[in-house]
Amino acid sequence: MKKTTIALLAAISFSSTASLAAYPDKDIQGVIMWGAGGSTDTVMRSVAPYAEEALGTDLILSNKSGGVGAISMKYVNKKKADGYTLLMGAENPQMHKVLGLSNIDYSDMVPVAILARGVPMMVARNDAPYNTMQEFIDYVKAHPGEVKIGSTGKGGLPSIIMAMIDSQVKLDYINIPYKGDGPALTALQGNAIDVMPAVLGATKEQIKAGRMKAIGLIDNQANPMLPNVAPITDTLPGLNSYLPWGPFFGVFVRKGTPDQVVNTLTRAFSSAGEREEFTSMMSNRGYSVMNIAGQEAVDFLDTYRSVSSWLVYKAGVGKFSPEKFGIQKP
Amino acid sequence: MDALNYFAMSWLSPELLALTALGTFLGIYVGAIPGLSVTMAVSILISFTFSWDVNNALCLMVGVYMGGVYGGSRTAILLNIPGAPSAIATALDGYPLAKKGLAGEAIGLSTVMSVVGGFIGILVLALAAPSIADFAITFQPRDYMMLGILGIMLVGSLSGSSLAKGIFAGAFGLLIGTVGLDPMTADERFTFGIIELWDGINPVAVMIGLFGISEALHQLQHMDKAVIKQKISRIIPRLSDVKKYLPLSVRTSFIGVIVGALPGTGGDIAALMAYDHAKRSTKEPDVEFGKGAKEGLIAPESANNAAVGGAYIPMLTLGIPGDAVTAVFIGALFIHGLNPGPLLMVEQPHMFWFTVGNLTLANIFILIFGLTGIKLFSKIVECPKGILIPLIFLLSIVGAYAINNAITDIWWMLAFGVFGYFMRLYGFPVGPVILGVILSSLTDENWRRAILTERGSVIDLFVHLFTSPLSIVLFMTIVLILFTKTPLWSKVVKPKLFPNDA
Repeated sequence: MKKTTIALLAAISFSSTASLAAYPDKDIQGVIMWGAGGSTDTVMRSVAPYAEEALGTDLILSNKSGGVGAISMKYVNKKKADGYTLLMGAENPQMHKVLGLSNIDYSDMVPVAILARGVPMMVARNDAPYNTMQEFIDYVKAHPGEVKIGSTGKGGLPSIIMAMIDSQVKLDYINIPYKGDGPALTALQGNAIDVMPAVLGATKEQIKAGRMKAIGLIDNQANPMLPNVAPITDTLPGLNSYLPWGPFFGVFVRKGTPDQVVNTLTRAFSSAGEREEFTSMMSNRGYSVMNIAGQEAVDFLDTYRSVSSWLVYKAGVGKFSPEKFGIQKP
Repeated sequence: MDALNYFAMSWLSPELLALTALGTFLGIYVGAIPGLSVTMAVSILISFTFSWDVNNALCLMVGVYMGGVYGGSRTAILLNIPGAPSAIATALDGYPLAKKGLAGEAIGLSTVMSVVGGFIGILVLALAAPSIADFAITFQPRDYMMLGILGIMLVGSLSGSSLAKGIFAGAFGLLIGTVGLDPMTADERFTFGIIELWDGINPVAVMIGLFGISEALHQLQHMDKAVIKQKISRIIPRLSDVKKYLPLSVRTSFIGVIVGALPGTGGDIAALMAYDHAKRSTKEPDVEFGKGAKEGLIAPESANNAAVGGAYIPMLTLGIPGDAVTAVFIGALFIHGLNPGPLLMVEQPHMFWFTVGNLTLANIFILIFGLTGIKLFSKIVECPKGILIPLIFLLSIVGAYAINNAITDIWWMLAFGVFGYFMRLYGFPVGPVILGVILSSLTDENWRRAILTERGSVIDLFVHLFTSPLSIVLFMTIVLILFTKTPLWSKVVKPKLFPNDA
């Protein structure tokens, strides 16, 4: 059994090296980092049909969630570096080294394209007695240990945003973890928590319907999708060095994949990412389209990693110092 | 009248009608194969129907959803392998019926009662969606915690002859459920540094092993036993049977709708609670529970199909998924340019009635497809064991792999299969193990959220519990159930309250 598998694998790899010029000459596997129905899943499933068109081959998508993204990272990095296995992931692996979850992150892979990023913000339950970041900070200071803030566990987006705020002003609040922003935002509407750091994509419709309110934008400039909400740097200018920052969705291949193959993939995903159908769907969902590749993507990934890793480490959540992995201070 | 127009849309267009029929048909088979989940099928359909008109895509997906929830009962009854966790309770009495040669009748009855449950779910969705959705989101962590405790107490109903063995099995399930990254702090629990264990042991793998493989091993041990001839003369259930069990079906359907509408719980817990309700409320069953009681088949089947309508309630009114499948539906609506959320009913009012109409249609197709082809299906059980046992192994292995495309799940499934075999051999019930695995995280997470909310004070938790009517009701239910099991109740209070009952 093992022998035939090895022989088969050898045959496949041989055929793919032999016909490299003709990449792609067979189906490409796309491994989605998170489960069905999640935001990574929907973004990837909506860009894939256009990338298929550009590549002229089928993209077979499968979900391989688990280990906060580490399982899919491990899986793709075990495959051959021939561009036939793509990782379709979110920001999570960038924190894995500091949190001690895994020894590979995106600096050990080649970005094909960073498609979009989320717009981080703070929402509060409707009848909360504060409407802006300043009012919120004042309220928490006046009522220590009373305000309940939702989170998604160590290293999740809310934990990083709260670490950012913590680097400027010390607040005493109750942290209540949920399994994801969906359940936490549901809890917010049921008054089980008061405030939740989240991305606009997850809160847009609820805000529009008046079921929760946006109290701050975690960015250094206003966002056209939320014109009436002030950026947090108006209240805490010290955060300028960390921003803009936000979770992202991107397509990656293993390091060592031939440049030619990476270029073909980048062209395909860039053209897919420019399609009007895709961009309008993304802005409709509350995501900012980025569509960057090459050095620009590498720089973006580095910045994200350095900001998040140092924040988390300073907040005492990280297991290892970012220095250990040569991660520069922001 | 607009509502009626949209309701009838999928009925009147031949294309939409055909797609709903196709979806329901596919769903029944996807649901019947353990490991092939409806969630997965629907998310694959998102890619597949990407370029379609949104109505066409939805018809196909709604059909798969409805059909899939029903289909899980097929393999549960015929092979003792639940097609999905929501069919676990179905296997408890469904399979004993098949062993008596009554597979055809069992499938017929479960089909009719699934459809009844489905209709009740849809009816509640159509008439009371906004108020139920508002009620569902008021469940606080402490309420979910108490719901979890109520669930754990079902161990009494699933234990069979020995409660002690049942409690042991249930506790073992709870332990299995704690394996993985801690949901609150992401610390590793019982993972021994193995990355594959971070997400815990998949309940579906445990389920397939404990039910499927252990059944195959059990049959291997009894190879000499003759194959049971199936009586297939009666498939459409007797009207007297339907009438007799209808009140139970209606009651358990309401359990299904409510549990389905809660954003933290789904059809699996609904079906188990319904089974428990059936066991408690049936004073004198014709056949003992666990040995082929029809009540034990009807209750979970009504409840899990009613949970579909329930799951749609928060989704259509608030954009909050009621279960894993409706979460995928939300993604699908986004991709098709609709914005599921609290404004969906305002901006796209037709979506609501279109979905209600379409669910109704899919439910009718279940009745049609469910009652035809039973004869053929029942033959599966009559297969020679030389074919049947390998078939169970094949289904179990494919099913375990399909959960997450991971070999690890196959090993877990096989290990639990062998373990389950020995459990049966020594008279330990396997049902409570699954119950424990399913309820472990619900109870664990919400207990900790509840206590975090009170800053670690158990006294505050207890005091605040009495500020909410919902919490009081749940708390009193737990106390009452425990109290009725004490000697004080059976010897002193009960004879006074119900003097005629004894």
